[in-house]
Amino acid sequence: MGHRDIPVLETQRLILAGPEPGDYPDFKATFASYRSRFMGGPLNAYETWMLYAAEIGHWEIRGFGMWVIHDRRTGQTYGMAGGWQPAMWPEPEIAWIIWPDVAGNGYALEATDRARRYFYEERGWDGAVSYIDPHNLPSIRLAERLGAKRDAQARTVDGNDVVYRHPAPAQLRNTQLADGIAMEIANYADPQFTPKGWALD
Amino acid sequence: MSETVLRIPTLETERLRLRAPLASDFEAYADFRTGPRATFLGGPYTRAEAFDQLSALIGHWLLRGYGRWMVADRQSDRPLGVVGLYYPEDWLEPEIAWSVFDEAEGRGIAFEAACATRRHAYETLGWSTVVSLIDARNARSAALAERLGATREGVFHHPSLGAMDVWRHPAPGEAA
Repeated sequence: MGHRDIPVLETQRLILAGPEPGDYPDFKATFASYRSRFMGGPLNAYETWMLYAAEIGHWEIRGFGMWVIHDRRTGQTYGMAGGWQPAMWPEPEIAWIIWPDVAGNGYALEATDRARRYFYEERGWDGAVSYIDPHNLPSIRLAERLGAKRDAQARTVDGNDVVYRHPAPAQLRNTQLADGIAMEIANYADPQFTPKGWALD
Repeated sequence: MSETVLRIPTLETERLRLRAPLASDFEAYADFRTGPRATFLGGPYTRAEAFDQLSALIGHWLLRGYGRWMVADRQSDRPLGVVGLYYPEDWLEPEIAWSVFDEAEGRGIAFEAACATRRHAYETLGWSTVVSLIDARNARSAALAERLGATREGVFHHPSLGAMDVWRHPAPGEAA
């Protein structure tokens, strides 16, 4: 008894798969670094290993969790993205972390957009939030690129974070917002990408 | 890349079922981890930490191929404690770890579960040796280690959790 399969999701450039033992060194390197300062780090080796084990177990406890982001051609890992709701989280969160040396390539956008569509379309979520340290400007920018908006009324985790509320499923079905996200992702995958029609923004 | 599958075996003893930890075990587990009896385990912890620790119990199985079970009453499935094989990063070597919740104290439950764990380590996993790491102030756990036939052989200093006595269990042929 006691097993839950972690699904595999695919995008144009990425594969999202459950955390495996072999992915741990990349996770450890990031959580030992200053990069993890907005995620409770940096952590020592014991704490990092326990957090990685908790990321895996979260799937079993909650029925959803964080995937490891892989390059679909090389298998190289770029970070993690998915759903996260430990004990003190008021609502299910869409969360992400990108390893420091591969930031700036749109991987978090592509992975979180895919994860969010999975939760909305296949798991019946009617919304989600992201809890972000107000000093974490790249993550705030990403939340905004994903169409999330600051929700000053929503409960925070511990008062040190701000809540960004993601657009509801209907706001992402055949809307200008959804098209804009798809075009931004397509442009990262192919910088020569030319959208049909004219960009309105 | 294929789907990740978590598999946790179930062991049964006379009174107990050693099974995968479940979300429904959280309240009993959190009561224990936030209470005074978690002092010898680096606690007491917050409920938030207890949630991550319950999750990590499960993740340990995927990372190592073995781990700690939720020890449940075989009849009622009520969670009574956490016992099994534990080997996080920065640990001395794989150990048999046990802790029982308040209501299970003094009933030989840790002993029964630890014996089943040790048999599993030796007979199913083929281990040739195993230790238990115990806070020197934790007299009840030290007494259980003695009852299991283990002998104290030194001290392990952990970077976060401090000093723990190392108790070496009898080897496979020598264990009761």
